[in-house]
Amino acid sequence: MSEAVICPAGDSALLVEFENEISLEVNSRVRALKYTLEQSPFDGMGELVPAYRSLLVCYDPLKIRMKAAQEEIRSRLGHMDRVSLPKAIVTEIPVCYDKEYAVDLEHIAQLEHKMEEEVIRIHSQSDYFVYMLGFAPGHPYTARFENPFSFKRMENPRLRIPGGSIVVQLALSDIIPFDQPCGWNIIGSTPVLACDYRKENPFLLRAGQWIHHRPVSKEEYLDIKKQVEDGTYVCKTWEKED
Amino acid sequence: MAIVVLSPGILTSVQDGGRQGYQQYGVSPSGPMDAHAFRTANILVGNDPDEAGLEMTVMGAELTFTDAAVIALAGADMGATLNGTKTDMYRALCVQAGDVLKLGFALSGCRTYLAVRGGIGTEPVMGSRATMIGKNFGGYKGRKLQKDDVLEIRPCSKEFPHPETYFTQPEPVQPGVRTLRVILGPQADRFTEKGIHTFLSSEYTVGQDFDRQGYRLEGEKIEHKTDSNIISDGVVTGSIQVPGTGLPIVMTAERATVGGYTKIATVITADLPLIGQCKAGDRIRFQEVTVETAQDLLQQEADRLALLRKQVEDPSHLPQKSVPAAAAQAPAVEHEYEYTKDVTISINGISYEVTIQKWKEE
Repeated sequence: MSEAVICPAGDSALLVEFENEISLEVNSRVRALKYTLEQSPFDGMGELVPAYRSLLVCYDPLKIRMKAAQEEIRSRLGHMDRVSLPKAIVTEIPVCYDKEYAVDLEHIAQLEHKMEEEVIRIHSQSDYFVYMLGFAPGHPYTARFENPFSFKRMENPRLRIPGGSIVVQLALSDIIPFDQPCGWNIIGSTPVLACDYRKENPFLLRAGQWIHHRPVSKEEYLDIKKQVEDGTYVCKTWEKED
Repeated sequence: MAIVVLSPGILTSVQDGGRQGYQQYGVSPSGPMDAHAFRTANILVGNDPDEAGLEMTVMGAELTFTDAAVIALAGADMGATLNGTKTDMYRALCVQAGDVLKLGFALSGCRTYLAVRGGIGTEPVMGSRATMIGKNFGGYKGRKLQKDDVLEIRPCSKEFPHPETYFTQPEPVQPGVRTLRVILGPQADRFTEKGIHTFLSSEYTVGQDFDRQGYRLEGEKIEHKTDSNIISDGVVTGSIQVPGTGLPIVMTAERATVGGYTKIATVITADLPLIGQCKAGDRIRFQEVTVETAQDLLQQEADRLALLRKQVEDPSHLPQKSVPAAAAQAPAVEHEYEYTKDVTISINGISYEVTIQKWKEE
């Protein structure tokens, strides 16, 4: 483990960087620092923005100057190895792999030289880890750690795909919260909303948790969609086994 | 009490001090592009500096009021008129029911702020009334204003005697090259020495692609050591990304919260209003400063606003100045124009035909 680097990102934030790689191990240090800062915030501390291998720590320079903020972070870094993180949460995401929504499923099966059922099994069997949220409100950047697909993104991105689409490449699988352009293959669709502005906490997911995809029929998809519109559907969650 | 939109201008939206606490979920702060002008306008009507008001872009709105209200304008000079008579910016104005406030084209600068005593009363989303135009939420129905929109004004019970005595020195947006002070990093080490030198010594021009998400600049290409990709990390307002094209992009209020391009530097907070007042064709230079200097400058800005606020709350601090006759009662006058020209401008990828008219000075 190399030492974390703390560098200024302007006059109101410090970027704390760990090893330059995308891995669960490095990301667990990001989470540990975030948790430590949340448990014992320093005066003037602002938002914390976790990413794959770094934590952006915002602060109010009218309340604390950079050097002092750096010291505060350094002292938390010294303590964080003794911190035991709370157990990670798994959120169940219902996914309909029906051809009507999974417009690229046939193509994916061809690329993988597998039956469509096998592709669905791979996608719904492994839990995906949420490294961070970004790009759009509630949009998770996730990855699984075994049995990755071999294909990357498409040559020509689509100009618009519907919100709720589940898109994949390699070991990655994203939930698209709102209609947007996208160059990834669509493997299915979820009726749940990754971001619902009607709610006090609009976000389904947060960085550092896991996602489990549960295959649902078109009937169940439509039924859940109705409950989501009524605001009554709650995704199942449980604690991740170590 | 409400404001009715007669004509929305090009891009007018409800903004407050911004949305705090949701960046970890992918929600950027939004808020005003020129926080200095925005706060100044609010302070002049006795509001909290971050109270919700309107941000107008390049070509202002035409608005009317259903009841008497106290308003103030700050930022770019859009040749504001009240009932057809030229009116002052940077001062509290009393308007009456039915009065028409009209703003035109910004000859210098880009954004003008309207503050109204009490603030605009749209429903907050995640604790803020700021419109996130690019993501369709917050503010008024999550979008820029349209004709016939009705914006409620929140009632304000606190006394505010003699509003017409509240004013401050106008701060016209200066034409010419703007110098934005920057702090190098966090990925300055991914550029060659030559690249850093190019960035700090050449002049950049704001391209057609400038909006609340970011400003794409044109000019000399900045050399990377190898490539422009990083493992995505957090972005702040003012981050200057340099993608593979070698041309800088200044990230502004509605920016992404994370990004995968190298960031050569960050514009200091005290200078963010300068970029908010830039539009296509404006020229920019970058100057390196230390974090300590940037934080001193931010403290000075906070002190300036605190002093103005103190003056407004206790008008005996104010310098004496004769109060112009109430503009609302003055007859409408026909203006003579020195010149009229049609130009095409592009905002958010949409082209607009606008007419610029310059008043003949009396």
